[in-house]
Amino acid sequence: MSSTSKQNWAISDCDAHFCDVLVMLKIFVPFHCYGWSSQKCWGAEEETAGEAGKAGEAGEAPAEATMEVLTVSKPIQNREDFDSDSDSDLDLDFASPQKQSLQNSVVTPGELVTSDPMLMRGHGTYSVGNKTYSSVAGTISRVNKLLSVIPLKSRFRPETGDHIVGRITEVGNKRWKVDIGGEQNAILLLGSVNLPGGILRRKSQNDELTMRNFLKEGDLLNCEVQMLYNDGAAGLHTRSLKYGKLRNGLLVLVPSYLIVRTKNHSFDLPGNVSIILGVNGFVWLYKTPLKTSLSSSSTLKNTNLNKFQTMLNSDSSNYTPGSTSVSITRLEEESTWEIYSDKNDPNISNNVRLNIVRYKNCLKCLSHCEIGITKSRIEHVYDISLEYENSGNLIEIEVMERIGKDVLNGEKMRGVNTSKMMSL
Amino acid sequence: MSRQEIYSPEGLRVDGRRWNEIRRLSCKINTHPISCDGSSYLQIGNTKVMTMVHGPIEPKNKSSLLQDRAYLTVNLNIPSFSFFNATTNKKLSKNSKKILELQVSLVNIFQDLIILKNYPRTQIIINTIVLNQDGSLISSIINSISLALIDSGISMYDYISSVNCGLFNSKFPILDLNYLEELDLPFLTIAIIGKSENVSFLLLENNLPLDALEKILAISISGSHRIKDLMDNQVKKSSKLRIKSINEQSIN
Repeated sequence: MSSTSKQNWAISDCDAHFCDVLVMLKIFVPFHCYGWSSQKCWGAEEETAGEAGKAGEAGEAPAEATMEVLTVSKPIQNREDFDSDSDSDLDLDFASPQKQSLQNSVVTPGELVTSDPMLMRGHGTYSVGNKTYSSVAGTISRVNKLLSVIPLKSRFRPETGDHIVGRITEVGNKRWKVDIGGEQNAILLLGSVNLPGGILRRKSQNDELTMRNFLKEGDLLNCEVQMLYNDGAAGLHTRSLKYGKLRNGLLVLVPSYLIVRTKNHSFDLPGNVSIILGVNGFVWLYKTPLKTSLSSSSTLKNTNLNKFQTMLNSDSSNYTPGSTSVSITRLEEESTWEIYSDKNDPNISNNVRLNIVRYKNCLKCLSHCEIGITKSRIEHVYDISLEYENSGNLIEIEVMERIGKDVLNGEKMRGVNTSKMMSL
Repeated sequence: MSRQEIYSPEGLRVDGRRWNEIRRLSCKINTHPISCDGSSYLQIGNTKVMTMVHGPIEPKNKSSLLQDRAYLTVNLNIPSFSFFNATTNKKLSKNSKKILELQVSLVNIFQDLIILKNYPRTQIIINTIVLNQDGSLISSIINSISLALIDSGISMYDYISSVNCGLFNSKFPILDLNYLEELDLPFLTIAIIGKSENVSFLLLENNLPLDALEKILAISISGSHRIKDLMDNQVKKSSKLRIKSINEQSIN
């Protein structure tokens, strides 16, 4: 920016409290600049400003017309904030190396990030000649030679190993299409699901015809990203007993950037409720499944006994989608047709239902305040929420904001060391 | 209204502005964080426009699936309540030729601006609603879409900013016309890419003397640059606020 414009900003800041202020930005535009074949597209403003300065000194006014634009700006409410903003914004030059390491510097589309040709251009950038420009509004991240701009907000981008929750949108040729809240639907191949009964074999044509008996349109499932295709679409798998169809619960959608990638994404919470925090921002709240002795170390005899019990009260589904303690070795015992059953547990008590709704509103609180969602924070918000008898009160805006503040203050008091609480 | 009142001998316009003065511009991004991927609200004078961007998402139907890039759709909604004088104005229905033509030109503008090849096999849907109109409608729509796209995190080459400019008495250019001025003066709408002098869109529906064109273009390019600055300030301001709140969480 030219120095004249900076001065004028200063003037506007002084007068800001009186009334609307005329901010005058003087742009002297020599007419011969407007050739129809405009070659100097990028960085043309510096050149224009330079010529304008010369024209002003020499006083060649008749040849060059003066083009200035007046704007009325609002009285600035938060003056300190705006002052620091305007100063730093106008002066930020991302080409200089010491500013580049500056954390929290925001670049917007079309802004020059660097003119160093040695750096590799990553996501969120594009280049014209040797210069690298930002293509999104976000923060600069630099890993060795790789320079990228991370947008503040974007849709979910899957990565291999992500634990996600998705919804079947289409049953196709040997594959299901799954909506995971990303840019494209993910693909779940018939070959990457468990067959009922846990038989390990090649999927036959018969299996292809009965695909709808396993999963059909609208079903929710819990799965892992196995691979990424060239175009960015995700390939999923459910080949573990902790993955599979979801029942007995409620889906909550939160922005995906609020969920931190951690080792474990399924937890048991107080109040007989369990949670699956899908990395894609799909969160599944459900009744904590009954812990049978199956999950403890059991002898074959015990297992048989349990199987017998299961058969006796066969109307209560014993499948445990979230229990992480089940290993793949017990596939045969555990994966019966039950894993693809559509029936909810008929014995979900009213209390559990109310708790699930309370947790849902707790998640809404966290997402409204844009606080990263972790197990400890959910439990904390749940504790705070207990002072509201009717959990419906939790989603009033004032209450949500108060709870959000309480959570952050509580962490400050306890000195919880959370180096990174958001995936941003 | 007589032609004299449009621009008084003292150099003031009907609403008290100078010839080169833009009305007050205020804008917001991320106005609808839950219901869409990017959103914006832009107000210039009494013209108010709201935009919501969905996407990139899986295409709604197979015909809008392109193998190498994203498919761009623009839906423009100009409800009749947006006219402050609905009775005397001609109403624009959803499928009127004017709206369809505008939608096509908006798609053409933003097709070149968004880096569509980064999003193969997806669709980007832009929904724009005009809440109130008082002149410079098309330029406000363009500015608003530009902001919403930035909010959604979709890669684009640069900002696009737009302004309109009229000509009084075949001599004096007048920047950023309101509804009354648009009725009486010939005017053009121009859209500029970033801080360059690259014209991405130019709409002229009246007769304009050729020798005045250069003057008008010069002032509209300066005006577009000013609007780009104002929008950029707002984007940076709200981005900084978000980063600040994220840092507060992690410092704890």
